[in-house]
Amino acid sequence: MLRLRFHGRGGQGAKVASRVLGSAAFLDGYNAQDFPLYGAERRGAPITAFTRISRDDILERGLVSQPDVVVVMDETLLSDPQSTPLSGLKKGGVVFVNTPLTPLETKEEYGIEDHVITLDITKISLDMIGKPVLSSLAAAVAAKVAGIGEKALRDALEKELSGIISERELLDRNTEAAIYCYNAVVPISIETTEKFREKENVISIPFETALVSSPSILSKGNTPLRRTGNWRIFRPVWDYDACTKCMTCVARCPEGCIQLNEDGYPYTDYANCKGCLICAEECPVGAISKVRESHSQTEEEDQ
Amino acid sequence: MDSENIRSIKELPSEENMQPGTAACAGCGGLLTLRYCLKALGENIVIVNAAGCFTLLTIYPFSPFRNSWLYTAMACAPAGAQGVRDALDILIKKGKLDPEENLKVVVLAGDGSAYDMALSSTSGAIYRNLDFYYICYDNEAYGNTGFQHSGASPFGSRTGTTPPGEKVPVGSQLQKKNLFDIWNSHKPPYLATVSPAYPVDLMNKFKKAEQFKGPKLFISHIPCPPGWGFDPSQSVKLAKLSVETGLWPLKESIHGEVEHTFVPKKFKPVEDYLKKQERFSHLFKPERQEEALKSIQEMVDDYWRKNKLLP
Ligand SMILES: Cc1ncc(C[n+]2csc(CCOP(=O)(O)OP(=O)(O)O)c2C)c(N)n1
Ligand code: SF4
Ligand code: SF4
Ligand code: SF4
Repeated sequence: MLRLRFHGRGGQGAKVASRVLGSAAFLDGYNAQDFPLYGAERRGAPITAFTRISRDDILERGLVSQPDVVVVMDETLLSDPQSTPLSGLKKGGVVFVNTPLTPLETKEEYGIEDHVITLDITKISLDMIGKPVLSSLAAAVAAKVAGIGEKALRDALEKELSGIISERELLDRNTEAAIYCYNAVVPISIETTEKFREKENVISIPFETALVSSPSILSKGNTPLRRTGNWRIFRPVWDYDACTKCMTCVARCPEGCIQLNEDGYPYTDYANCKGCLICAEECPVGAISKVRESHSQTEEEDQ
Repeated sequence: MDSENIRSIKELPSEENMQPGTAACAGCGGLLTLRYCLKALGENIVIVNAAGCFTLLTIYPFSPFRNSWLYTAMACAPAGAQGVRDALDILIKKGKLDPEENLKVVVLAGDGSAYDMALSSTSGAIYRNLDFYYICYDNEAYGNTGFQHSGASPFGSRTGTTPPGEKVPVGSQLQKKNLFDIWNSHKPPYLATVSPAYPVDLMNKFKKAEQFKGPKLFISHIPCPPGWGFDPSQSVKLAKLSVETGLWPLKESIHGEVEHTFVPKKFKPVEDYLKKQERFSHLFKPERQEEALKSIQEMVDDYWRKNKLLP
C-alpha cells in the first residue's frame, strides 16, 4: 500500500488534490481512500489531507501518520510547528516541495534526508491558470510519484473539477497546468522500508491541577507570535517617493499591522501581514505594489 | 475616548486593541470591523463571543485581544453577557470591585447567531434593558462551518445549502431577515448599522452610543472572501459597493427613531455589487436571470422609496 499525505494551507486545495489523486488511482484500477483533516481554522491555516492507494483491500482507517510520500504544497509549512509535514515519513520515502529552490537546496535549507522533488507549482499556476490554485497541480505531481497513468489523471480531473468549476475554459486550463506538472516530474522508485523513524511528534502531557491545565489564556494580545506572514503569496511593497502619508493603508489593514516609521511613512510587519493586498488596492496614489513572495527572503531584508 | 466627533480616517484612535496573527482569513471584512470597534471601545471590556469564525481568533494559548474574552454556544451570548454584567454589578455593590475598574460588556456574534439561533436570548436581553454592546458581523451565512444558509443570506445567493440547480436556478429563494427592524421594535436606546468601508461613521456611532445605558446594538455588513467568492484585496471595495448601491443602508435609531447617516448622492446599480461575487455568478451565466436581477434591484429601490429618499 502507498500512503500519501498532503500539506497545504486553507484555500490552496489540499483536500481536492487528495480527492483527485484518489479518483485517479481508482480509475487506474487500484483501491483508494482519500479524506482531509481541518483544524479549527480559516483560509490560510495549515490543512492536511490523506490518500491511500493499494492493489489489495484497504482495511486501514484513520490519519496517515507514517506516509511513504509527503506533498508539501506550501514551502513555509516545513518550518511551521503546527504542521510538521515531515513527521513520521518512512525512511526512503519521497517529499515533494512546492518551491523555486532545487531539490539539493531544499534538502539543505530544511535538513531533509529523504528523496526530494521540487517544482514551483505556484508559479506554474499563476502563469497557466492566472490564480494560485494548486489542487490539480499537486494532484498531478502526486499521481506521477505514485505511478498513476496520465489518462486516469485526466479523467479524474474532469470528474472531480467539473463539480467545482463551472467555467469550461477554466477547467481546461487547470487540466493543462496539471498535465504540464505531471510531465515535469521525473518518475522515481520509492523504496520505503517498514522501518519507521523515531516518533518525533508524540509528547506526553503530565496531569496538572485545573489552574494550570484549564484553557484560560492569561497573556493578552500574544497572537503576533503565531506569525501569519507565511500565508502570503504576494507581499505589499511601499514606494515612499509616491506616498503622500495619507494614512489610508494604515486605516484599511484588517490585521492592523501597518505602522508608521520615524519619518511618518507606513510600513508593515511582514511577520504577520497575510498579504490580502487591501492596502495596495486602497492606496489612492498607487504607492504600494504587489510583489511575488519569496520565502527565502530573510527577516533582516524585511525591515 | 472623548465624545468629539472625528472627521477623517487620520483621526482614528491610534491604539490597536486587536493584535495581528489571528486565524481569520486574509482580507476578512469582519476582522476590519472588529479592529475599528475595539479602537472605539478601548481595552476595558469583556467580549462574550458566540461560536463562529471569531471564536477562532482566540486559540489556546493565543489571544489577539487586549481585553477579557468569554466563549459561549451560538444561542446564548446575550445570556452570557447578562451573567457577566450581573457579576460585575454585584462585585461593585459589595465593594469588591472598584467602580473605576468596571468593564463594558460586549457581545460579538455572527449572523447565524444574531439572526437565527440567539434571536430569543437577544430579544430577552434588550427587553430587560441589559447594559451592553452587541456587535453582529454579518457575512450572510454560517461562515465558519461551510457557508450554509442563514436568516441573513440574501435572495439569489449561493450558499452551501442553497446551491443553484436546475429546479431552483436562483439559489436562495428566501429574503434576508430585517434584523434592524426586529431589534428596533424593542425600542433600544441605541441601534445602528455600520460598514468596515466607513470607519469614520462607525467610530462616531460608537461615540454616540456611549452616552446611553442599556442595549447598544450594531450590525456590520462584512465581505467574506471565501464565502462570497472574491479576491481578498477587494474586501473594502465590496463593502463600499453594498452601501453605494443602497443595499446596506447606514443608519441609526435612538429609542426607535430612525435616521440615515449616509445617503448615496446617486445610487449605483445593484448589479455592480452582485457581479463581483462568485455566490451570485449563476445570476449572470450561463444565462442572465433577468427576473431575479430585476427583483433584487426593486427590493432596494422600494426600501429607499418607502423612506422617501428616492423619488
Ligand atoms: C448551539 C450551536 N449549534 C451549532 C454550533 C456549531 N457551529 C459553530 S460555528 C457555527 C456557524 C456560525 O455561523 P455565524 O453565526 O453566521 O458566524 P460565522 O461562522 O459566519 O462567523 C456553527 C453552526 C454551535 N457552536 N452551537
Ligand atoms: S497586505 Fe493586507 S495584511 Fe498586509 S499590510 Fe496590506 S492590508 Fe495589511
Ligand atoms: S495609502 Fe498610499 S499614499 Fe496613503 S499612506 Fe499608504 S502608501 Fe502612502
Ligand atoms: S470565513 Fe469569512 S467571515 Fe469567517 S474569517 Fe473567513 S473571511 Fe472572515
